[in-house]
Amino acid sequence: MLVLESIKLAFSAIRINKMRSFLTMLGIIIGISSVIAITSIGSSIQSVVDKQFASIGSTYMYVYPDWYMLDDGVVSQSDLFSEDEIRGLKEAYPEMIDYAVPYGYSSSDSRVGRTQASFSLMGVGDGYDVVSNMHITYGRMINENDVKSQKPRIVIDETAAQRLFGKTNAVGESLPLTIDGVANDYTVVGIYYVEPSIFTPVSTDNQFSAYIPYSLIPSMVHSCSNIEIYYASGYDAKTAGDTICRYLERVKDKEEGFYTYDSVEQQQGMMNEILGTISLAIGAIAAISLLVGGIGIMNIMLVSVTERTREIGTRKALGARTGDILFQFLIESMIISAIGGIIGTLLGLGTAAVGMKLVGVDFAVNPLVILLAVGFSAVVGMFFGIYPARKAAGLDPIEALRYE
Amino acid sequence: MNEIIRLEQLKKTYRSGAIQVEALKGIDLTVNQGEYVAIMGASGSGKSTLMNILGCLDRPTGGRYYLGGHDISCQSDSQLSRIRNRMIGFVFQSFNLIPRTSALKNVELPMIYARIPPRERSRRAAALLEKVGLGDRLEHMPNEVSGGQKQRIAIARALANRPPIILADEPTGNLDSRSSVEIMELFSGLNRKEGNTVIIVTHEPDIAQFTDRIITFRDGAIISDRKVDRDHPPAASKVAAAAAGREGV
Ligand SMILES: Nc1ncnc2c1ncn2[C@@H]1O[C@H](COP(=O)(O)OP(=O)(O)OP(=O)(O)O)[C@@H](O)[C@H]1O
Ligand SMILES: [Mg+2]
Repeated sequence: MLVLESIKLAFSAIRINKMRSFLTMLGIIIGISSVIAITSIGSSIQSVVDKQFASIGSTYMYVYPDWYMLDDGVVSQSDLFSEDEIRGLKEAYPEMIDYAVPYGYSSSDSRVGRTQASFSLMGVGDGYDVVSNMHITYGRMINENDVKSQKPRIVIDETAAQRLFGKTNAVGESLPLTIDGVANDYTVVGIYYVEPSIFTPVSTDNQFSAYIPYSLIPSMVHSCSNIEIYYASGYDAKTAGDTICRYLERVKDKEEGFYTYDSVEQQQGMMNEILGTISLAIGAIAAISLLVGGIGIMNIMLVSVTERTREIGTRKALGARTGDILFQFLIESMIISAIGGIIGTLLGLGTAAVGMKLVGVDFAVNPLVILLAVGFSAVVGMFFGIYPARKAAGLDPIEALRYE
Repeated sequence: MNEIIRLEQLKKTYRSGAIQVEALKGIDLTVNQGEYVAIMGASGSGKSTLMNILGCLDRPTGGRYYLGGHDISCQSDSQLSRIRNRMIGFVFQSFNLIPRTSALKNVELPMIYARIPPRERSRRAAALLEKVGLGDRLEHMPNEVSGGQKQRIAIARALANRPPIILADEPTGNLDSRSSVEIMELFSGLNRKEGNTVIIVTHEPDIAQFTDRIITFRDGAIISDRKVDRDHPPAASKVAAAAAGREGV
């Protein structure tokens, strides 16, 4: 094999027909750049989504009455859960259930000095920080005692602490809130930190999320329709959800299927499926453009073989073997395609990097993808170069020399 | 003397559709090592057909061709490539230089296919171009030199792998008389000084006069094969006179 010579020849042939070579590469450039851009954007989004789910806690689910199973679509008191029933559920499956509390949510405006703020308030129970991987930077999280004694305690995030109290460590400060019409001064017992992501709202208008004992939201807790649950990590969502629902139906004397659940695991699975489908669809389009690019290469190589018929004849007369000619043209189409692949990769990475910068997501390059893209384009070039190269190599020297 | 080429009842029949053309009708010919031969004959008499077979570019349809004692008809394609590369230097009427490729690179071509390393290759190519009088044109492209210079590049290229046989099909066909004489002097030098076997096809008796033996074709057969009589050249001509004049010096 005349590897080095063939590579040199290929480059000089490409240089001689710069514009034509570039246009030929265009198909490959478009194909590869879209593949690279899509996979890069896809994996960047994937990592953001994964992080988001992880911040909720991957074993989170909530259980509620299936609205389709209700008579006339009206919830009656007996369908709902009491605190005792929820405690009973947790005690029935201590291995499987790490955390189970009535779902409680409220909101309140607040004012500290001259600073106005509004809070979304999540009612939580003991150990919420552990199951949801919260990052407590000062003080502590709401505990069992806070829930039982119904003391006005609150855990706020660092930004809220900074805005309202002028310091991140605001433990011990007090915050006036009104929940279910009851005004109270809440004592800050802990500060948490969340890493900002594209899903975190930019709080220019002083809107914050905070945690209080669920027992302080009586309107929701006493007629609780949703139970928040974290199951142990050894279980999957289906096993845990089905066991819990069947247990509740037994205890509350309902027919099977009356209670149902939603889980992070299912949501994540669905999200991955959607992302996967989108990637696949765009990947298929990219594959088609690679195919078209490959056909373009084949076409131009056939033109090139025809143009260079006399040259091929001369080379054969001077002692080139069939294999030498075959290799020369194969290398040429491979190099055209691989250059297209390299340009396409750079273009795709650039597009993805700019796009991710605009939406503020960290962009990571996977070197394997680059290698794969360039390698794959070379393979495309080789595959579509086989026919023209064989045609060149198979030329009869006399006929090639006589060609006008 | 050692025979280098022997043809026995060599035939070539072209078939295009229903029509058959007998281009060579059973040629018997022996050429010894170091001979200087001209092939003449009317247009269509089969000269090029014979040269292509001698150069292993084409295969005969009948008879035998022994090159250096080996029967060529039973060689594989890659063996024929090898023979073309090492045994034969081909010079064409239309030069057939590779376009947009420097004189040096053109001369290197046969050495590339002989797998000679790059340094040795360009050294030898430069020396060969020097020898044909183009030492100052190494980097020129084929479209930047005259017809005569093109043919000299082609000759340098034909000599690249030091083949024992030089085949030239109307090498002066596209050249003026002055360039023709220069090219023929190159061939004469190769034959006399280097001992190459040189076979040249030509239409011009003046050109044939440079050689030692003239074979004449008609309708695919040899009608005459004679030694050149230098003391009694045929009808006086400028070319012959010019050549004779030079030789006399
Ligand atoms: N590829 C071909 N197919 C069919 N017939 C051919 C082919 N090549 C040559 N011939 C025929 O073979 C005969 C010999 O042709 P050739 O080219 O050998 O003649 P030539 O002596 O070289 O003529 P010229 O002096 O014009 O070059 C001619 O009649 C020609 O028409
Ligand atoms: Mg001819």
